[in-house]
Amino acid sequence: MLDLKLLRDIRGMKGQMTAIALVMACGLTLMIMSRGLLLSLETTKNSYYTESRFADLFCDLKRAPLFLEPALAMIDGVAQVETSVRGAIILDIPGMKEPADGFVHSLPEGRPRRLNRIHLRSGRLPEAGNRDEILVSDSFAKAHGFRPGDAIDATVYGVRRSFRICGVAISPEYVYEIRPGGMMPDPERFGVFWMSERELSRALGLEGAFNSVAFRLAPGADAEMVKADIDRLLEPYGGLSAYDRERHVSAKLMEDEVAQLRVFSVAFPVVFLSIAAFMVSAALTRLVKLQREQIAQMKAFGYSGFSVASHYVKFAFVPVVAATLLSGTLGMWAAHAFIGLYQRFFNFPALIFRPDWSALLVALLASGLVSFLGVLGAVRQAASLPPAEAMRPEAPADYSPSFLEKAGLHRLVQPSFRIALRNLERKPWQAFFTALGLALAAAIPVLPGAMADGVDYLVDFQWNMAMRQDAVVTFIEPSGGEALLSLSRFPGVLYAEPFRAVPVRLFNGHRERTAAITGMPAAPRLNRLLDSQERVVPVPGSGLLLSEKLAEVLDLSPGDEIRMEVREGRRPVLATFLSGTITDFTGVGAYMEIEGLRRLLGEGTTASGAYLQVDSLYWDEFWRRVKETPRIGSVTTTAGARESFSKTTEEMMGVSQMLYLVFSLIVSFGVIYNGARIALSERSRSLATLRVLGFTRREVTTILLSELGLLTLLSIGPGLLLGTWMAKSILESVDTETMRFPLILGARTYVVAVLTVFVSTVFSFVVVGRRIAGLDLLAVLKSAE
Amino acid sequence: MAMNAEYTPLFRARGITKIYHPGTETEVRALDGVDLDLYEGELAVLLGASGSGKSTLLNILGGLDVPTDGTLSYRDEELTGAGERELTLFRRNVAGFVFQFYNLIPSLTARENVALITEIAPDPMEPEEALGLVGLSDRMDHFPSQLSGGQQQRVAIARAIAKRPEVLLCDEPTGALDVHTGITVLEAIERVNRELGTLAVIITHNAAIAAMADRVLSLSAGRILSIHSNEKRAPVNTLSW
Repeated sequence: MLDLKLLRDIRGMKGQMTAIALVMACGLTLMIMSRGLLLSLETTKNSYYTESRFADLFCDLKRAPLFLEPALAMIDGVAQVETSVRGAIILDIPGMKEPADGFVHSLPEGRPRRLNRIHLRSGRLPEAGNRDEILVSDSFAKAHGFRPGDAIDATVYGVRRSFRICGVAISPEYVYEIRPGGMMPDPERFGVFWMSERELSRALGLEGAFNSVAFRLAPGADAEMVKADIDRLLEPYGGLSAYDRERHVSAKLMEDEVAQLRVFSVAFPVVFLSIAAFMVSAALTRLVKLQREQIAQMKAFGYSGFSVASHYVKFAFVPVVAATLLSGTLGMWAAHAFIGLYQRFFNFPALIFRPDWSALLVALLASGLVSFLGVLGAVRQAASLPPAEAMRPEAPADYSPSFLEKAGLHRLVQPSFRIALRNLERKPWQAFFTALGLALAAAIPVLPGAMADGVDYLVDFQWNMAMRQDAVVTFIEPSGGEALLSLSRFPGVLYAEPFRAVPVRLFNGHRERTAAITGMPAAPRLNRLLDSQERVVPVPGSGLLLSEKLAEVLDLSPGDEIRMEVREGRRPVLATFLSGTITDFTGVGAYMEIEGLRRLLGEGTTASGAYLQVDSLYWDEFWRRVKETPRIGSVTTTAGARESFSKTTEEMMGVSQMLYLVFSLIVSFGVIYNGARIALSERSRSLATLRVLGFTRREVTTILLSELGLLTLLSIGPGLLLGTWMAKSILESVDTETMRFPLILGARTYVVAVLTVFVSTVFSFVVVGRRIAGLDLLAVLKSAE
Repeated sequence: MAMNAEYTPLFRARGITKIYHPGTETEVRALDGVDLDLYEGELAVLLGASGSGKSTLLNILGGLDVPTDGTLSYRDEELTGAGERELTLFRRNVAGFVFQFYNLIPSLTARENVALITEIAPDPMEPEEALGLVGLSDRMDHFPSQLSGGQQQRVAIARAIAKRPEVLLCDEPTGALDVHTGITVLEAIERVNRELGTLAVIITHNAAIAAMADRVLSLSAGRILSIHSNEKRAPVNTLSW
């Protein structure tokens, strides 16, 4: 019988129950979604890394003889070694004016790779002795519709030739296939390729040698010691520094994504569930008050305190079950949508969605626990009410003059508004949690707004303010002044600005980083360096400019000494100092004046490449010349990079922006609606009395809702602050050496946040306002409260 | 005050019938063709047992309910057929209500409960004056929870009269009170009727109260059984029950 009463009572509170279930579902959806994604990504990643024998350490070098391999394998702590060759490749794709570029790696003949095994999507491996066969990475093949059997023209190490695609593959080294220093995958313009070792060595002039090596560590090996040994052994062969997965571009980005999901799967659910707990508490406390008499009767009939308590606990579990079912469905659906995105950006043999069923259980338990905590006070009250006392109507509520009035400001407010003030002061916790929920609702839309504005700013800063070049050309080898001169005579080239980039290791005490140092003219006209205020930072005659992030991780302030080891040419080591920092958002870099760098390297007028200003009328001729020039290793255009970045970020952020907006609407509507329904229930008697006394429906509605309206107004400011803080923390959590986002908070973001709260507030006011119209005026006159 | 033919009635009700749930098994005929005139300045008591239809009649007079059949006018205004807005205005400007359970706003003091109404009335008295009339000048800043039942009911009367209504409608005003407190409340109503000339209608099942009225209308089963005019209104302090 009690359960029948439960069902009927719940039907009577279906609006509130729905609101509570929806707010819970927001948190649970995020949890189920992110835990599902986490499980899917982690299992897929771990099993792929294991199956493909993804290496632990990596090192690139200039050129070392193959007979060095056994010595590398002998290093204490090394379990396996795989040497290979790799080089730059530039492709002439039919239908594309500008060339695409990428890396080409070698595949050993007659055996699978020991480490970093590739996985064939289609076709087959290059046959030994077949000179022209090439494997293409999956995302590049997809972007261009390539299939095994297709032909492509490419330039490898200055030699243009025609290849036949024999297969499509992926590699654990390129789960996230991204150009070094790039921000986002750009599969149309950047790809990865594999050729037989013999062929590629010949093409790169590296026969009997290798320029890249990967290691698997023995269990319990000390990675730092192994790295030091590798560096020492490879030093004479132009070795750059050995690095682990932590510095591996693709592996690091995967880890960042996983770490972010982990934060999401806890932080957001906790916030939403706290709000829901408060809503349950407020709704049930009110219900117990309204049902005092029924409780008394139940007890008078002999129901125990326990059965009364469990009856009311069941109320709280109805939204829990509803929310778990709803969020189970929504969470799985959202995770599917995200897996679809991940499949486009992460190259796994099979990234399938693995629902984390335990997440459903956790969701059920978490929301159950939260509801139980929320309902505890009300239930204890119900269970402990002696029947005789419960039969009597509750004593009239105590009120006292509000704080404002005690401060002598009561003359300022009308009696109708004093009702609101005193109600708020009488139930400060209820007011506080309502305001907190509303503040959260105002805060949530700040996140996607800040991200969108941050991306816009980044695009503007990077590609409009800093980079004024139309294209960047790099040579396959550093070249002398004549190369620059010929480049500047390419059709359409208006201005060519040389740069010289060399790998270096920078030290400050025990802190160390590998980076590229770029030598540039003292006052560059095209590729300019800017500070955080968008002011041009001149390239200093002495000392180094570092990215802010690099200075931060090396713990350097302007004026501090830096030890610099150049990892190219005659490998000079010198002490220099930090002359200043610059602002950038992808990767990190070091900069100095080009003449100084050349002197340091003992070179004349060498350049690694040049920034070009190109007359837009001559692009076709320009590209033709680029493709005919064997010396060119890669070309990127500013417009292309900007476009692919914008497109990719839009795709990636679209889904989450929708989620944030919907959640924000649900939370603000739910919190206001629940609050308004409780207020209406608590004051229906007063309100009906006022209607009887001649107050119009609108006046009565105003009196009821001015309390919530006041809370809404009060919570907006803190809500925007909270949102700003949340946006800041989230951006800080993704602030890495690979990528940073500027925190830009435009008026538009705040306006959207405020509007979201206002719209849902007004909407719930309208819904509740209609209930006021239906108040039974006569009933209140005949009953004591 | 005695009834005189030359007085025009304030309320004029003809054939008022009220049927709840018409045409169903639970049909209730609460009023069954009531004809009634109520005059300016008189104190009328509607006497009847529970279920006699007296509350329904008062609700219809006060514009809280509409009759199923019959006509009701106030002065020259038709109340039957008036819309929600007109009835709200009628309650706001013309009628004052006193309820059995006081129905004060718990979060407002005595003074503020009165002020809430004087704020929306066209020609109100000061809340202090209204509270003075019911003898509560020394309790003006108390909240309802700090007042006794009789005091709360007197605040309700002050709230009802502060807008200087032409009609004071009192539904079992002493129903929740003991004799002594009930007398003080009735005294307040009588004083308002006498000093302000307000038509006062008191509904009650308590026959003892009838003695203070100009006219006593007895209801039973939705009809007016009898109308009796008192020669002389008994002073309220002589009543007892």
